[in-house]
Amino acid sequence: MRPYTFARARSVRQALANAGEGTAFLAGGTTLVDLMKLEVMSPEHVVDINRLPLGGIRHDRDGLHIGALERMSDVAADDTVRRHYPVIAQALELSASGQLRNMASIGGNLLQRTRCGYFRDVSTPCNKREPGSGCSALTGFNRMHAILGTSDACVATHASDLAVALVALGAEVRLTSGRGDRAVPLETFYTLPGGTPEVENVLRPGELVTGVTVPRSAWAAHSTYLKIRDRQSYEFALSSAAVALETRGRTIKQARIAVGGMGTRPWRLTSVERALAGKPATADTYESAVRRAADGASTLEHNEFKPALLRRTLVRALTALQEQA
Amino acid sequence: MTPSPVGQETVRVDGRLKVTGTAQYSGDYPAANMSHAYLVTSTIARGTVSHIDTAAALDAPGVLRVYTAGDTRLSLYPVVAQFRSLVESYIPLSDTAVRFHGQAIAMVVAESFEQARDAAALVTVTYDEQTPRASFADEPREPAGPALDGSPSSVQHLAPGVNSIDEALDASEVVVEAEYGQQTQHQIGMEPHSVLAVWDGDQVTVYSGAQIPTVHSLLLSQRLGVLPTQVRLVGRYVGGGFGSRVILWSDAPLAAAAARELGRPVKLTFTREQMFTLVGHRQQASQHVRLGASRGGVLEAISHRTDSVMPVIGGFNLTPAHATSDTFYSTPNLHIEVRSVRLDMPLSRAMRAPNEAAGAFALETAMDELAVATGVDPVELRLRNYATVSPSTGLPWSSKHLDECYRDGARRFGWSDRSATPRARVDGQWLYGTGMATAAYPAGVHPVSVRIRLLDDDTAVVSTATSDLGTGGWTMVAVVGADALGIPVGRVTPEIGDSALPSGAPAVGSSATHSTVPVVVAAARNTIAALKELAVTHSGSPWHGLNAEGLRWEEGRLHGGEHSMTFGELLTELGSRGVDATADSPGGAPEEYEYNSFGAHFCEVRVNRFTGETRVTRFTTVADAGRVINARAARSQIVGGVVFGIGHALLEHNPIEPATGRLAASTLADYLVPVNADIPDIDVHLLDRPDPHLTGPLGDEGEEVGTRSLGARGLGEIGTVGSAAAVGNAVFNATGTRIRRLPITPDKLL
Repeated sequence: MRPYTFARARSVRQALANAGEGTAFLAGGTTLVDLMKLEVMSPEHVVDINRLPLGGIRHDRDGLHIGALERMSDVAADDTVRRHYPVIAQALELSASGQLRNMASIGGNLLQRTRCGYFRDVSTPCNKREPGSGCSALTGFNRMHAILGTSDACVATHASDLAVALVALGAEVRLTSGRGDRAVPLETFYTLPGGTPEVENVLRPGELVTGVTVPRSAWAAHSTYLKIRDRQSYEFALSSAAVALETRGRTIKQARIAVGGMGTRPWRLTSVERALAGKPATADTYESAVRRAADGASTLEHNEFKPALLRRTLVRALTALQEQA
Repeated sequence: MTPSPVGQETVRVDGRLKVTGTAQYSGDYPAANMSHAYLVTSTIARGTVSHIDTAAALDAPGVLRVYTAGDTRLSLYPVVAQFRSLVESYIPLSDTAVRFHGQAIAMVVAESFEQARDAAALVTVTYDEQTPRASFADEPREPAGPALDGSPSSVQHLAPGVNSIDEALDASEVVVEAEYGQQTQHQIGMEPHSVLAVWDGDQVTVYSGAQIPTVHSLLLSQRLGVLPTQVRLVGRYVGGGFGSRVILWSDAPLAAAAARELGRPVKLTFTREQMFTLVGHRQQASQHVRLGASRGGVLEAISHRTDSVMPVIGGFNLTPAHATSDTFYSTPNLHIEVRSVRLDMPLSRAMRAPNEAAGAFALETAMDELAVATGVDPVELRLRNYATVSPSTGLPWSSKHLDECYRDGARRFGWSDRSATPRARVDGQWLYGTGMATAAYPAGVHPVSVRIRLLDDDTAVVSTATSDLGTGGWTMVAVVGADALGIPVGRVTPEIGDSALPSGAPAVGSSATHSTVPVVVAAARNTIAALKELAVTHSGSPWHGLNAEGLRWEEGRLHGGEHSMTFGELLTELGSRGVDATADSPGGAPEEYEYNSFGAHFCEVRVNRFTGETRVTRFTTVADAGRVINARAARSQIVGGVVFGIGHALLEHNPIEPATGRLAASTLADYLVPVNADIPDIDVHLLDRPDPHLTGPLGDEGEEVGTRSLGARGLGEIGTVGSAAAVGNAVFNATGTRIRRLPITPDKLL
């Protein structure tokens, strides 16, 4: 761990005044402290934001508002979230471990870094950690790596489960900085690696995530999160699917679908959504709708199974949701 | 009368210390003026260190020393030839050669751990790099060296008139043939290797978890170039061994050498990442098994050929057919062959059930394939091939009740409800299946010394330098000591994990308990005799001048004539603090028998028919491991072993990158082991049949209290042998897909 300055902000304004290039905001610390110990991240200044008034879970006409400093376990346990946005509660409960969920914040969850082993090992080349050094995963062990949104520079998988659920529901992330407040759809908040994998989102230096807003919808209450992994708990996704359906009788009116473990960012599948809309909720519909779900995927030596797993994960999630109904 | 604690559910005597955090593990010991060491490891797999820039590190706050590859200040030495297999094959930091990715090439010592770690990150290294030999597929196969016990790794037994194993196979009505693969696996105990070395004049005390404390101490003295009497190793509590603490690695030599050179205590703790390359692993192997049998499933031939990695730098020679294919079943023709694939990898080392876990996966999967091919039920198939004498030596077993394990296990598990047809049981999204496998593990007996001291407060101290790796060794010593003396467990103080004690059983190869038990009994006998001798020779004793044979020991009391006193009362009366005696056993057991523990595993899994995840839903193990000493600890050992097997089957693997020689995983986030959610309740039953021939120094002296040998036999590894095959066989029964390359991950079942 490199030496750094530490400050505890008492207000958002104070936090922003302290922030700029080389600053990291500290919330739950479950990613930041871990990566600082590995010297993957070496901020010059750390600003503790835990005392800022950025908590709260509120449900109103516009939808669900979650403060950036809410802890994952508190959001997962919230009655409103569980009843009206089950996909969010499920995605949170299937993340990390109980201890981590008690510490990790919602804002921090959205900004967590990839679990790519080469990113985390400073002795290996990694374009995301050290731009221009090369990508070790392309020729290394890449079973867990992404097949969608990849580039020659980076194939690291986005790690958040929550972000997959939020992208499916069309959530916005609320940001603030010295230049004012703004809201950005989470789907476009994340950027593709392209030739600059060190850039992962549109956050500006010193800008702070203050919360998330999930719009009211006809599908959020009828939603589920399915996570496929090598072991039953405490492991990142081989694949995951957030699925929300608005149905009328046995007919799917609208669908919202995003997948995890597949992309360099949470991956919305609008083509599958379109293929489901207006169709009967049957196994045949699902099979046919997911047929082209992995179009455009680019597989590597050890993750050739992922397109098939993606399709099967979707069919299973849709089937499970239908069985719940 | 005090009931015997043997075989009861005895709570760990060290349990309270552990759950309250007061048990001191090696990294917990303090020392005045202690400094902290941190290693820098190589980032190439083969070559030499051409330059190490330590200037920035030496300028960093708190830094006391930076030792680099080739440093002469550490003054470490080779050990004598007979012990070479128990140390690394090179002296750490003694030269600039890089032998594997993750080798120690520098060590920073600073005032605090954090300062040492930060400074280590400032050390920059340049290499002359050579292309590593790291491709298992591409490197040549060579004949392998001998197995661990010195026997040849390749053997063949053919029936009269049979000229070759191929001939025997060709003549068989049914042949199954397959290749079984597994990747590198790691021991990785919860407690990383951590050593504190404290010199006092020319004496050094080293706090270090070791599976063989007295041997480690001896090896360390040779590494340091000092006399054995100058080194004491203390490792009372150990957070997991699994083979990673059998040999002397670089931790203790480096800490002790730096402490000597620096003139201050040094603590060296390996990081989790360093544990993956510095303390051994079970190497990658590919096993080619051919079984020839009659249509009724009676074996005619077993051929078991293994290609396994032998690191260029040396290590444990993985011989999976040993103690499996040469032991499990009766067969007139047996062919075992091992070939080595030399790679630039870290040293390999025995990992729990070192050969047998891998070998039993291959053999027991092949047996399941034979059951499918012949249509014979898997349990019945094993009974049809039941061995009453060893297929390799022709000797009978000292005690074998494996048939009872099969039958008991089948009944407890409900095996008869099973359909042999795959995919016969479906519940919603899940396919259910069941499988079974055999377990066996050798029971070697090691030399042991035990001292028992009776004290004037009516307690007894039982001392032997064995090691409790979390296995229950403390409690085993207390239980057997209490039984042998006829006093409550609470009045026995065990002492283990310290090389200053009488030389104890190595905590290796499921042998510590059965090696130790008879010697504790013998030491109790000797100590009681010493007390009687004191009673008749001391002028203050009521029995003074009588014949010791007229005294009777019963439950901690001496009786004779009209007198009766506890040993504490007698010692107090005589003004003596205590009386002690020692018993020594050279190890070994009568040569007319084979010694094995046995078991049978039964497993039920469910496999998701969409996405292929395998989850274990039920598991039953019945084990035949002689007399049970502590039912609770014994069951825990089997449960832990089965969890190992489930991890072996479903999760554990660490591929090596062919281009770089780097192991892909170096954390427990990337190298997956089962979590609680992966493990169902595991049903364990122990037959509790004493082994009549594991009597140690007692021989056949009858059944009097204080002379009985109990007949315990080891069980630390029996849970691991075969359990991975039981899981895989259940997956086949569930899905109809045979996965022969472990682990059985979802992608292989899509």
